[in-house]
Amino acid sequence: MKHYPAPLSRSDLMSVESPARYVGGEFNAIIKEDMMDEIEKTGKTSYVRFAFCFPDIYEIGMSNLALQILYHVLNDSDFVACERAFSPWFDMDKILREKNITLYSQETKTPLCDFDVLGFTLGYEMCYTNVLQMLDLGKIPFLAKDRGEDDPVICCGGPVTYNIEPMADFFDIVMMGEGEEMILEVCEKIREYKRSKGTDAPISRMQLLRNCDSIDGVYVPSLYEVSYHYGDDETADGRARGAKVVPADDSVKKTIRKRIITDLDSCSYPTAPVVSNLRVVHDRSYLEVFRGCIRGCRFCQAGFIYRPVREKSVDVLCEQGRLLEKNTGYDEMGLLSLATSDYTCFPELAENLLTTFEGHHTSLSLPSLRLDSFSLDLREKVQSTRKSGLTFAPEAGTQRLRDVINKNIKEEDIFSALRLAFMGGWSTVKLYFMLGLPTETDEDVLGIADLAKRIEKLYFDVGRETGQRMRRLDITVSTSLFIPKPFTPFQWEMQNAKEELMRKQRLLKDNMRSRNIHYAWHDFDSSVWEVVLARGDRRLSSVLLEGYQAGHYFDAWDDHFRLDEWVGILEKHGLTIEDFSREYSEEEILPWDHISVGVSKKFLLSERHKAHEEKTTPSCREHCSGCGAATFGVGECFAKRGED
Amino acid sequence: MLQSDLEKKMTLQPHQKAYVQRASFSREGATVYLGHLDLMTCFERAARRAELPILYSQGYNPRPMMVFALPLGVGIETRCDYLDVSLDRSYDPVLFTEKMNACLPEGLRIIRSKEIPEPKDSIMSIVTTATYRFEAPGIREAMEQAMGMETLIVTKISKGKEKQTDIRPLLLSLQKSEDEDPDSVEFYASAGSEKNVRPDLILSSLHTYCGMDRDVADNTRVIRTGLYAGNYPKIIPIDQAKIRKFEDFANN
Repeated sequence: MKHYPAPLSRSDLMSVESPARYVGGEFNAIIKEDMMDEIEKTGKTSYVRFAFCFPDIYEIGMSNLALQILYHVLNDSDFVACERAFSPWFDMDKILREKNITLYSQETKTPLCDFDVLGFTLGYEMCYTNVLQMLDLGKIPFLAKDRGEDDPVICCGGPVTYNIEPMADFFDIVMMGEGEEMILEVCEKIREYKRSKGTDAPISRMQLLRNCDSIDGVYVPSLYEVSYHYGDDETADGRARGAKVVPADDSVKKTIRKRIITDLDSCSYPTAPVVSNLRVVHDRSYLEVFRGCIRGCRFCQAGFIYRPVREKSVDVLCEQGRLLEKNTGYDEMGLLSLATSDYTCFPELAENLLTTFEGHHTSLSLPSLRLDSFSLDLREKVQSTRKSGLTFAPEAGTQRLRDVINKNIKEEDIFSALRLAFMGGWSTVKLYFMLGLPTETDEDVLGIADLAKRIEKLYFDVGRETGQRMRRLDITVSTSLFIPKPFTPFQWEMQNAKEELMRKQRLLKDNMRSRNIHYAWHDFDSSVWEVVLARGDRRLSSVLLEGYQAGHYFDAWDDHFRLDEWVGILEKHGLTIEDFSREYSEEEILPWDHISVGVSKKFLLSERHKAHEEKTTPSCREHCSGCGAATFGVGECFAKRGED
Repeated sequence: MLQSDLEKKMTLQPHQKAYVQRASFSREGATVYLGHLDLMTCFERAARRAELPILYSQGYNPRPMMVFALPLGVGIETRCDYLDVSLDRSYDPVLFTEKMNACLPEGLRIIRSKEIPEPKDSIMSIVTTATYRFEAPGIREAMEQAMGMETLIVTKISKGKEKQTDIRPLLLSLQKSEDEDPDSVEFYASAGSEKNVRPDLILSSLHTYCGMDRDVADNTRVIRTGLYAGNYPKIIPIDQAKIRKFEDFANN
């Protein structure tokens, strides 16, 4: 493979932290040499040149599975050449600006403005401003309406795009749902567009967007208009209550329904992903086991937007696991899903993979594993290294509140699993909770402290009963803040004000003093802003642009996030935090009501009501609750319905 | 199993006989910007992809047994560095080279390898001398001037503390060159665990004492061209150095 040097001097590269982020040259990276030859000879190419953009630093982007999946889907096709680009950290950002160097791709160091299409993957709201940084450094106009025939088409996808309204002004095309098939259909349209240039009948950029609108799952924000509702005469206070997004004309689809892959077994999966030369955040290979989640925790966006549950077969997974290990050389493989233990053939899969890796010094990483005797035994087998901590996510301190959020974890289960674990020599426990959940009282907050203290007591009881020599106990209680997210039963709920959350945090801290218990809390400021971006509407695009231009980006990095300054900019635009953290009424039209994830609004509403009645809903495996995801005609729940 | 039992199980394993591949390698291109730890990881992963019968270290965190002769700093190319890779069986060095090269990232290459008996002296401990090539406008004159100086005091930062050190004694001699190209120079310098000089310190002394522009110094291309054992000037390339066998040592 030919080496394309970065357009930077040695001294520039040597002056930044981790210069290896900016030079490419990774194993399994793909360069289509025939395209480069064509460009060298003729100055152009018939390939659709796609820059897959990750709006955060290299080490985070290279740990992202979506990037690896779509990079290979695109490069496997015979008409697309996909390269990668990442947000440059502040030190490199400064050099690029000072020297007027256009942000470039990792593979061929091509300036972003020379690509046909840029595809951003958006995994979290706080990365929005980095999209603007990449467009800016890539010398591409920010606003979709300002881009012309020669500018790249700007696309995005990923979990947060289900409410893309705050970023709607910046994207030409938004892809809703799983991208493996859709992204190629979009590229096909871009190929037609590119081919038509210079012919008698060139396709206009506007026509291209309309052509893309005909693809299922594609949302073209510029083809929709937004109206804001200010309530009737009695309630009107000048604040918008609802944002209605409607097609600008009849030829545009009214509802955009997300796309899913119906058969994961036959869907391409990257078994030879790009291996970073630099150590990255999650330095291991990933085996995706299934999509969707049977649980339905009411605060969890992933639990609803990825429905229905679709599993890969054990045979396919074992073969993919074998190839992944061989093609990457990683000494660790992570099994990826929303809840690994819920995989129907989990014991068989784990045994098979462990046999495949026998003698290779390859370990399995099993995140999101429910604790029971089987998984404890398995951990013992997979962990050649020191015993790491045990993790539980009860999310709430009392059974009442756990029923409200539909977190079906029982205290008896936690305690019986912990008893086994303590007897097996484990002494580090991590507990995850959320503060500010709907209906939460001080009693629920104190319930967290109580649970931690009872676990502490259990540890010493086990020590006494067994006469074992016990190590120093370390319980970490970690709280994050509840953020109401679109497409969850809690999408209407309010977020506690910052002062109230701080009070609850103090209450917990003051009541949980012990040398064995550590309290770790999450930063408030970013959670306050996250709710604005998560439930915001199109009015935020100008806020985000102004904030970026004032130098605010890398907001996902707490050290660089300035809530007070963002609030100032928000207010300058006539908006407040309260506009987005308030309780949304069930009658108002939500900024994401024109998007369908399969799960119906009616179902979400009924789940909300059940939450307030403290009633739980069984998992999809026990009983179909009719969420609406069966409309896709596949998935575990659909198959089950057929049997009933 | 209790933690303490696990510890015992992990450490009480007999020494396994190792077949060592002593390989020379080069690096250029993108991989030049890797730090030494990342570079080591790249080689480890390549060996795993190549499915070579590598031996692993014992203990909690088993690592492939690979030893590099001398760390290679960020920004330094090499045409001839060395590493020892321990395998569990005798292996054809040509095949070893081919397999590794098929699995290394662009820019890293094994030049050649040879199988040696398990050495008593670690490959790190025998390095005494390195040759470097600097490429920059007017670099030869600056280096000649530096060689004529009695001392070259530079500021070295180690463990967060600034320290003054004289690097002049560590610059051994300039290599003869036929064309006397003014924009490149090669020289011998002390290297290894006892006495070592980092190329960036040499460049910074050229800026401080020999009138070299800061920008030119910072943009100088730095290439390590060889590593040697023995007492300078009686030195010998690392892969030709005589090996004291581990077995001889063990029998004594």
